Amino acid sequence: MKRLASIFALTLLTLLTTPGALAQATTYNEIKSPPLRKFSMPQPKRIALPNGMVIFLQEDHELPLIEGSATIRGGARNVPAEKAGLHTIYGQAWRTGGTATKTGDELDELLESRAARVETASGSDSSSVSMDVLKADFDTVFPIWLDVLRNPAFRQEKIDLAKTQVNTSISRRNDEPGGILGREATRLGYGPDSPYARQAEYATVASITRDDLLAFHRQTVHPNNIILAFIGDFDTAAMEKRLRDAFSSWPRGPQVAKPDPAVNGAKPGVYFISKEDVTQANIAMVHPGTQRNNPDYPAIVVMNEIFSGGFSGRLMQQLRSVRGLTYGAGGGIGAPWDYPGLFRAQMSTKSGTTLESIEALRGEVRRMIEEPATAAELSLAKESILNAYVFTMDTREKALQQQVLLELYGFPPDYYVKYPGLIEKVTAEDVARVAKTYLHPDRLAVLVVGNEKDFEKPLSTLGTVTKIDITIPEPGAGKSAAPSASNPEGMALLNKVRDFIGGAAAIDAINASRVAATMSMNTPQGAMSAEATTLIQYPSSMRQELVLPMGTMTTVITPDVAYMVTPGGTQDLPGSRRDAAVADMKTDFMHILRNAGNPRYTFTAGGTENIGGVDARVLTISPDGGTVTWYVEPATGRLLRTVRTTTAGGAGPAENVTDYSDWKQFGPVKAPTVAKITRNGEQAAEIRVTAVEVNPAVDANAFRKP
Amino acid sequence: MKRVLSMTALLVLIGTAASAQDLASFEKRTQVRKLDNGLTVILLERHDAPVFSYATVVNAGSAQEVPGITGLAHMFEHMAFKGSDRVGSKNWEAERAALAKVEQTYAAYDRARRAETNRDAARVAQLEQAWKDAIAEADKHMTNDEFSQVIDRAGGVGMNAFTASDITAYFFSMPSNRFELWAYMESERFRHPVFRQFYKERDVVNEERRMRIESSPFGRLLEQFMSTAFIAHPYGFGTGIGWPSDLATFSATDAAEFAKKYYVPSNMVVAIVGDVNPAEAWPIIEKYFGRLPKAEAPEPLRTVEPPQTAERTVVLRETSQPLYVEGYHRPAVTHPDDNVYDVISMLMSSGRTSRLYRSLVRDKKIAAAAAGFNGFPGEKYPNLFTFYGVTTPGHTPDELAEGIRAEIERLKTEEVPAAELQSVKTRVKAGVLRQLADNSGLALQLATYHTLYGDWRELFREIDGIDKVTAADVKRVANATFVPGNRTVAKLESVAKGAAK
Repeated sequence: MKRLASIFALTLLTLLTTPGALAQATTYNEIKSPPLRKFSMPQPKRIALPNGMVIFLQEDHELPLIEGSATIRGGARNVPAEKAGLHTIYGQAWRTGGTATKTGDELDELLESRAARVETASGSDSSSVSMDVLKADFDTVFPIWLDVLRNPAFRQEKIDLAKTQVNTSISRRNDEPGGILGREATRLGYGPDSPYARQAEYATVASITRDDLLAFHRQTVHPNNIILAFIGDFDTAAMEKRLRDAFSSWPRGPQVAKPDPAVNGAKPGVYFISKEDVTQANIAMVHPGTQRNNPDYPAIVVMNEIFSGGFSGRLMQQLRSVRGLTYGAGGGIGAPWDYPGLFRAQMSTKSGTTLESIEALRGEVRRMIEEPATAAELSLAKESILNAYVFTMDTREKALQQQVLLELYGFPPDYYVKYPGLIEKVTAEDVARVAKTYLHPDRLAVLVVGNEKDFEKPLSTLGTVTKIDITIPEPGAGKSAAPSASNPEGMALLNKVRDFIGGAAAIDAINASRVAATMSMNTPQGAMSAEATTLIQYPSSMRQELVLPMGTMTTVITPDVAYMVTPGGTQDLPGSRRDAAVADMKTDFMHILRNAGNPRYTFTAGGTENIGGVDARVLTISPDGGTVTWYVEPATGRLLRTVRTTTAGGAGPAENVTDYSDWKQFGPVKAPTVAKITRNGEQAAEIRVTAVEVNPAVDANAFRKP
Repeated sequence: MKRVLSMTALLVLIGTAASAQDLASFEKRTQVRKLDNGLTVILLERHDAPVFSYATVVNAGSAQEVPGITGLAHMFEHMAFKGSDRVGSKNWEAERAALAKVEQTYAAYDRARRAETNRDAARVAQLEQAWKDAIAEADKHMTNDEFSQVIDRAGGVGMNAFTASDITAYFFSMPSNRFELWAYMESERFRHPVFRQFYKERDVVNEERRMRIESSPFGRLLEQFMSTAFIAHPYGFGTGIGWPSDLATFSATDAAEFAKKYYVPSNMVVAIVGDVNPAEAWPIIEKYFGRLPKAEAPEPLRTVEPPQTAERTVVLRETSQPLYVEGYHRPAVTHPDDNVYDVISMLMSSGRTSRLYRSLVRDKKIAAAAAGFNGFPGEKYPNLFTFYGVTTPGHTPDELAEGIRAEIERLKTEEVPAAELQSVKTRVKAGVLRQLADNSGLALQLATYHTLYGDWRELFREIDGIDKVTAADVKRVANATFVPGNRTVAKLESVAKGAAK
């Protein structure tokens, strides 16, 4: 700082400033603020690649830094309950486990010596791979970031380390009362099995394998599930070229489905968790909330502001300033972007004012309905939101993050432009109406964590108290013997598919089938076409004859023998190939339909996904080990797509996506005549069926080795 | 850790970067002035969006307390949101009289209830009622939370404050068209603070103590750790939130005296960062902050912690999971070796290449987290270099102690490899650069540095010092500091429910 310059400036100012401008206000009301100067924050450039990847680029030249991130759909909510914790381990080991060519420790050295960061993270609905680098190091670090995104190795030692970390969190989760309250209130609100409330246990962590992580990676990391965002000191055109070069050839993969929210919250009432080493009670109240796409959302935002906005909201005013009951009270109607939220209200108070506080907090919920917002409250809330709105877009970083969010959750890009107008329109009647519609003081599940012997009255004076045991299950304990059961909607959807194809009786009567088809395949040697005849004898014998330019190739697989006959002679297939092929057959849709009543098969419906313009229901099937996902047109039961992981083919686990179309009647059943198969996101084959024979005569030697 | 960077170092770091990027532009855009009343104001222009952030840093914290008023610095911080004679009052003359009555009745009640002999319960109850009646009367003349409502309505965000051992800081952000309103409100609350609702707010602070300390295993451990590590200096008054007896006793009169002594313009720094035009801003700042009455800065703290001569250990036996802390006395932030301690902290704790992570977390898997850091609980006065560790299931605090000591021994006996030292220095520089884009963080940094060092530019200068640290320095300082007689250990050991503590 040049002191001379500032003294000079000051002298100048003193001369220029008129006495009027220096008039001093005595009260704040005398201060007239000029209107905020007009400004618009530069918006990022959006680029959509043909493979479905969306890229946002935002230049920011203030500092010589570049940050980038890949946000990938699919998170903890997409992990099955019996693997809870998988996604946390995935988010850690993805980076620490290194890549195909570099260990995680090598990456640490390389990056930290450049003050650069490449990190992976896991969230409830997405994961991310981010980088933060000095501009000068971008050329060195970009390939590392790309390598982490595309070629993670998930080395076992780092999976073990991540498991230790998660187990540490489990062991400590009952130490801090605030942590208990937040977690258990969520479990009460959604039900403990909800994808939004599940928690890792020692047993679920122990069951997680490297294959599980790889499978999750294959399930989610496809360009059409990824949004890239880059910000910093770069040239947009050059960065666009770099990213197009890096990603354009990456083929599409299956879309990540959203699980059913399945809100199955606790019954209204009082729930208690005993914690003796505290001097405060922690109190929470929950019931179902709503979702962001609700047209009432702007009115809900204003109501929340009146209810609990900062120090001026009713909760802090009444419970803190006026009554001195608590250091902090908060809450509001939750409205997440793409799944139903919860209404929550919570506070902490000394043990001796626990019941008083429960009544006071519940009273504020009730009062929101009975004493609707006054004109003064409404104007304070709306002005607070609108005047502070500039802070939602005061940095280029925020403008970028907003576009990522809107893209991720499918909201229009001008959402944040239109939002203030919606707030402005909210009236006192709207606020009163949403309070009445979305607040239900009589339906609250009230949770108390504390030391009951110090409460001013027993909790039972409020009615029946349900005690919640939060003892942490020891490793191995409480492992459910059976996998999660089918849900009724899953069974119904399965029956729909069965009926579409021809009904249970017709399907059960099928012992064998012979299908003639033309197969177009993409092989490592190039495109290839073959006439194929496939004979299947249920449950697990298959004979396939392929007529290829170099001659006919016959493959026979049964649980006992597996061999291949080529013009060059006959050769046995290794046992592992046989097992893989038999397992693969079990995931075929006809095989699954024949096992509809088998208790070892479970069928769970959940979520909806758009498949070729149809809002398909997602049916997750556990066919005696493994997982298959079906996408079904709900009105007709038509099977649109199956997704399964297979090791058949010998090139390591692969995710097969098969899209079926052109269903035709063949005798008693319908069958698809066109099937398009992608393997790990790449087009693998197209099958066009020319004939289907149900229960054909089967040659006695068809499956016998010559 | 102070993240700092000198201009020369930064220019080397960013090489041929465009002119908007070099730190000279940050310096050029920064103006500093000392008003006639002694208040220092720092102004840094950033015009990306029509917003600004500020931080007011008061050179007083819980280290300015003495027994009887522990927790009072933090209590005043809470009161600074209660307004002034002109903000929050319906009728100031009536309210002033009523508040005076509250203080009179409280003094009488408090004296009676704490009588050491011949305590007269009936009279205590009577005096308590008189005090409560006086509060009810005073409450009639005030408007609840008017200060925060004015800021909220004007679009202020992030309104908060904290009290540390060394300083107390107040901050929020506003749309830039509200600059004059901000200058009025921020100066108003220190011009004539009014201690309305003091005793309700004291209840709130007691709740904060229950939440942060009494109901948290980590809070309980830290309180024992601090009060064991210091035997004379006020850094040892627990965690700074105050002892329960003082929190139940001190009065608004005590708070007013504290403010009168420490909340004087010559003891405060205001930093503003954002879309502010200095030509328009300075007259407004002069106009409103110039109203704060001039007063002499308070006398520097007398008590200095005497050298520790014997190892101290506290053990908490609880049903929660184990925790481990050990601290070593080190000199104040102004000591020439300060940068060496910064480097040691980075070597031990920064990132996955850090020594404690590699040894305790990655290899031995006995800790979920482990680190060593400076400036606990403050840095203005001689303080502690503190190590901590969080055990993984099945491991004990003693294993962490052993693991930490092994890494300390390496510092004392082996030279730090050149590449490792360089990596640390590179990260310190980049760290400074990365914080420049955030108005709010930058305002707090500028004001804090100016308070602690007397010059905000130390924020950018100290990097030179860090660059000069050698492997020999690390070894020398480690050998001088990390010795058993200079150590305080606090551990939380897990015991079964119902076991003797």
